[in-house]
Amino acid sequence: MSLTNPPSGASAPSGARTQGLKRSVQAAFDDPNDRGIGKGYQTKVRIIDKYKIIGFISSGTYGRVYKAIGRQGQTGEFAIKKFKPDKEGEQIQYTGISQSAVREMALCSELSNPNVIRLVEIILEDKCIFMVFEYAEHDLLQIIHHHTQNPRHHIPPATVKSIMFQLLNGCQYLHANWVLHRDLKPANIMVTSTGQVKIGDLGLARLFHKPLHSLYSGDKVVVTIWYRAPELLLGSRHYTPAIDMWAIGCIFAELLSLRPIFKGEEAKMDSKKTVPFQRNQMQKIVDIMGLPTKERWPYLTSMHEYSALGTLQAPMMAHHHHGGGGHHRNSHAAATAASTSHLEKWYYSTIGAHSSTSAPSSSTSLASLGAEGYKLLAGLLEYDPEKRLTAQQALQHPFFSTGDKVSNNCFEGLKTSYPQRRVSQDDNDIRTSSLPGTKRSGLPDDSLVRPVKRVKEG
Amino acid sequence: MAASFWESTQRRFWIFSKEQLAELREKLEDDEHNLVQMFPLPEWRHLSIYFNQQMNRLGKRLSMRQQAIATAQLYIKRFYTKVEIRRTNPYLVIATALYLACKMEECPQHIRLVVTEARSLWPDLLSVDVSRLGECEFFLISEMNSQLIIHQPYRTLASLQADFSLSQDEVNLSWSVINDHYMTDLPLLYPPHIIALTAILLSLVLRVTPSAGNPGANMAAASAALAHVQAGRGLASGQTTPGGAPDKDKRQEDRVGKVQRFAAFLAESNVDIEAMVDCTQELISFYECHEQYNDKATRDQINRFVKARGLDKA
Repeated sequence: MSLTNPPSGASAPSGARTQGLKRSVQAAFDDPNDRGIGKGYQTKVRIIDKYKIIGFISSGTYGRVYKAIGRQGQTGEFAIKKFKPDKEGEQIQYTGISQSAVREMALCSELSNPNVIRLVEIILEDKCIFMVFEYAEHDLLQIIHHHTQNPRHHIPPATVKSIMFQLLNGCQYLHANWVLHRDLKPANIMVTSTGQVKIGDLGLARLFHKPLHSLYSGDKVVVTIWYRAPELLLGSRHYTPAIDMWAIGCIFAELLSLRPIFKGEEAKMDSKKTVPFQRNQMQKIVDIMGLPTKERWPYLTSMHEYSALGTLQAPMMAHHHHGGGGHHRNSHAAATAASTSHLEKWYYSTIGAHSSTSAPSSSTSLASLGAEGYKLLAGLLEYDPEKRLTAQQALQHPFFSTGDKVSNNCFEGLKTSYPQRRVSQDDNDIRTSSLPGTKRSGLPDDSLVRPVKRVKEG
Repeated sequence: MAASFWESTQRRFWIFSKEQLAELREKLEDDEHNLVQMFPLPEWRHLSIYFNQQMNRLGKRLSMRQQAIATAQLYIKRFYTKVEIRRTNPYLVIATALYLACKMEECPQHIRLVVTEARSLWPDLLSVDVSRLGECEFFLISEMNSQLIIHQPYRTLASLQADFSLSQDEVNLSWSVINDHYMTDLPLLYPPHIIALTAILLSLVLRVTPSAGNPGANMAAASAALAHVQAGRGLASGQTTPGGAPDKDKRQEDRVGKVQRFAAFLAESNVDIEAMVDCTQELISFYECHEQYNDKATRDQINRFVKARGLDKA
């Protein structure tokens, strides 16, 4: 393949090369052109011949991500996602590729949109899968985090608008192509150094066009809990693209307030592997959105966990209205109060305006996002998935047509720049390194300490 | 992309002209001149018939749906445009393609189950374990450039069913024509909607002339219908009366009406009629070729190179 890296291990002293030597010795005894018959699959393109690894970016349950540049004149930088191989003892074995990896490989090979991360190629080598993507310098988690630092300062409204538009545009493309992302969250939304937003990590994504089995049967739990739509929390079996839209609503709120809007704690699966009702997460939603009602959400009563709703507390703010002690004399009024949404209050206090009638404010203040910002947010965080805005509808929302023109560079006009993605140098050997652990199960891998696992300091 | 055939990798990379396909295969055979000399094989369609049978046997044991089996069939076709068959153990390739197709069609089967069933189905021909199947999966995916999403005619058929008010019999017949086309080169030559429309046409024409026992004659009627469409495109259509003189039977008239409506639709549309004509002819020719199929001879020729080359052993 390459002149710089002879395929035989003759001149290489390292352990990895010794293995390579063993393989090539064995290959000499076999007919190397026979395919798929147990005589050793050999890749046509070797990852280290084609890419120079310049650092380690992050690891997750799926494997690790490295930053790389091309060795063969390819322009730009790359993020190489190495799926963790399965091990039996020390020996790496072929065990069949996980379904999520197969999905991600197949979907990424088809997708092509400026707001969806671009796959460059896939290399299958040494029982490992390497997916080579275009590199993105930032992601929303990192950008949000930056704004919480010295001192806490909000994300400029023009940036929020551009990010939302591009995010919705990428999502609209996915949905138009029958792809559900199912794991939208700030860490999975990449942003390039030129301010282009790219939806990444399609590891949980799948096609929803007439599946042979209901979408529920495959993976019982999807979407990191803070971004999980209420219909999923209530055990819906017929979920739709609307679950991605809820997550986008949560991301919008987080861009405004710099913290997750519904920051619940995940109830872990019990020993019987039954999926527990995520009471804490649902409560966080109810605290702001009020209790859902069957008037606003007709299918509510057919939800698997409908009965559990009764055990949730009415929003705190509703309690204040009616006083903490004593029984409600007017149960109708109490029910109305309990189902009242406090999102509007949340929105205006977050953007620092006092009501929708406030005078127009300077364009650098979040308050300039105005009433349309609230309407978009409320449309995305709609309880009834059938009434929730679709990506297409959200793109048409007046939020994007009022005020300044939306830029396709979310950094346009910014005086400051965001710190570059941290890349560590202690683990540059993409061929040998692998972390112990399990491969991705049906459960989302996020936890309450999410920023920690993402960056490994050098 | 995933939803649009026109932007899909299937259209961009996996639809060939007949010449291209012939060239690809010729090149593979030229590169393996000795193997080809030593181990003659029957024609492609006969191999495909045999593979199809074997896949259905294993697919049945795994309770697979036809759609997933069809996906696996296309994987095998793609794989063998890039790899000479005598370099592989086709039984391993079949088992692996089915395993992979199950994952892609969202009805995954455990790799151990696939291995167990494949072993018991072909005890003398395939000594396979998880690691060998997993390795073959790498070959398959690599040769297909990870382009695993397949657009199938079944979906087009389902969506057109109501438009042409097809009866259940007609749907069933179209469905089996689609099943059959996976034993020809058609999936590598034409987009799925062309296949589906051809299958519908055949189901209508075959129903119009139920007495004719010879499928070839019915196919000829289909070709005639298409020729009319082609000639009459842009003119007022509805003059097409394939399948001989109209019958007095009311149901028969309905069917003739359906054929005419279908022909009128084609005449109005931008559908590539020439492609449909060719599909029809390929299918006629396939059904004739099917008559010549000799199961034992085909199996023996395949098993001979598998055994002689030690491809059955790990």
